[in-house]
Amino acid sequence: MRGWAWLLALAVALPLVVGVAGLPPHDAPDAPIHTHVGARYLERGVEETGMKNLVTAVLLNYRGFDTFIEVVVIFTALAAVLALPRGAVRPASRRRTEDGRGTGDPGAADPDAPAGANAGRLADVDGEVPVSPVVGFVVRLLAPFMALFAIAMLFRGHVTPGGGFQAAAVFAAIFIALGLVMGRARVGRLVSGRAQPWLQAAGPLAFAAVAWAGWRLTGHFLGYPMHDHTAQEAMALVLEVAIGVGGGVILARLFLSMET
Amino acid sequence: MSDVFDVTMLALLIATAVAVARARDLLAAVVLFSIYGLTMTLVWQHRGAPDVAMTEAAVGAGVTTVLFFITIARTTRREKR
Amino acid sequence: MLLFGLDLDYVAIVALFGIGLYMLVAKSNLLKKLLGLNVMETSVFAFLVTAGMVEGGDPPILVAGTGAPFASPIPHAMVLTGIVVAVSVTAVALALIVQIHAHYGTIEVDELKELP
Repeated sequence: MRGWAWLLALAVALPLVVGVAGLPPHDAPDAPIHTHVGARYLERGVEETGMKNLVTAVLLNYRGFDTFIEVVVIFTALAAVLALPRGAVRPASRRRTEDGRGTGDPGAADPDAPAGANAGRLADVDGEVPVSPVVGFVVRLLAPFMALFAIAMLFRGHVTPGGGFQAAAVFAAIFIALGLVMGRARVGRLVSGRAQPWLQAAGPLAFAAVAWAGWRLTGHFLGYPMHDHTAQEAMALVLEVAIGVGGGVILARLFLSMET
Repeated sequence: MSDVFDVTMLALLIATAVAVARARDLLAAVVLFSIYGLTMTLVWQHRGAPDVAMTEAAVGAGVTTVLFFITIARTTRREKR
Repeated sequence: MLLFGLDLDYVAIVALFGIGLYMLVAKSNLLKKLLGLNVMETSVFAFLVTAGMVEGGDPPILVAGTGAPFASPIPHAMVLTGIVVAVSVTAVALALIVQIHAHYGTIEVDELKELP
């Protein structure tokens, strides 16, 4: 099996190398990637979209449909994870005894794991990991600053590197770090249970709402009124906040659903 | 100097990817994968893509690695053969 | 960046793609397969970002302090969407792996194939 896998990897990699050899050198300023649509976005992006961060302009304005589908994709992933049967997951310390595989003894360690005090075991039976006080202190100290940085990235995503999904990833990282330190029961109460479904669906809902608003303003679905920077900024801000908050809540819920 | 940086980073990427493939201990494989992700972040930052670098740093080192750790805690830690 | 007849960056990225594909196909452990898939995904993102870069170029954010030449913003947007999709796929796959282990007691494909 291993031999065939090597052959397959080579059989795929060699035509790719041949194909890649036909591309222009990657740092050439006159490559086609820079002279067609990219050049137009660089020249007229700021006046057409009102955003200085052209990556955000491309994401929300020029290629807004792609971002719409992307938020639907991550929402569908959460739906898929939540649709799996619950309560069938057992802690790793209990193993099945059929066919002699495993011992069924909760105290037995994996036979070929390295010896040692906590060998082969990342968690106790109930899934709580003992946390060093240094880690706990540092995480609690840094969490407000991380949140401040995430909010700053969110609201200034149109003039600095940042934007919706970066803020969502940092929100989720804060949530995960606090969850590892404070225990998932306490941190799971940060978002109220009734608001959670609405927050998780915030991405697709906000995109649908802004697309409808764009249709009313310009006659095109998700159309931004060109040269009206106020309306454009308002629409982009609503989308950014929705992507940031929605994405963060979805990632945090993915983390929470994995624990039990 | 920029050449040296690029070649070093690419060599580190390939070495880390090979190490992920060869690691029998799944915990070591996931930690090596997180190193791979952070090296990618440095490469992208060097190539004028700070948005992408920030996202990959937060997602690769934060979300994906922790989800892998939780999965290892719920399943096995060693790869058999 | 160097040219020995081929662009070294692109060849390294294709090598990473090949390593990821090998992990996806050859390894029996489901977690290793998922790691291989992730290596493949990040190698494609690296390809897109490398294709959009300019030597000595600035990020495509037109504030004071950045000047021409700029890196192209379109590959960056594609890679951001790609990272979101990669995270989604990884999360669903990990949840499934946990369920498979809970039901069958193993996550090795060789052993799963032997089950009745």
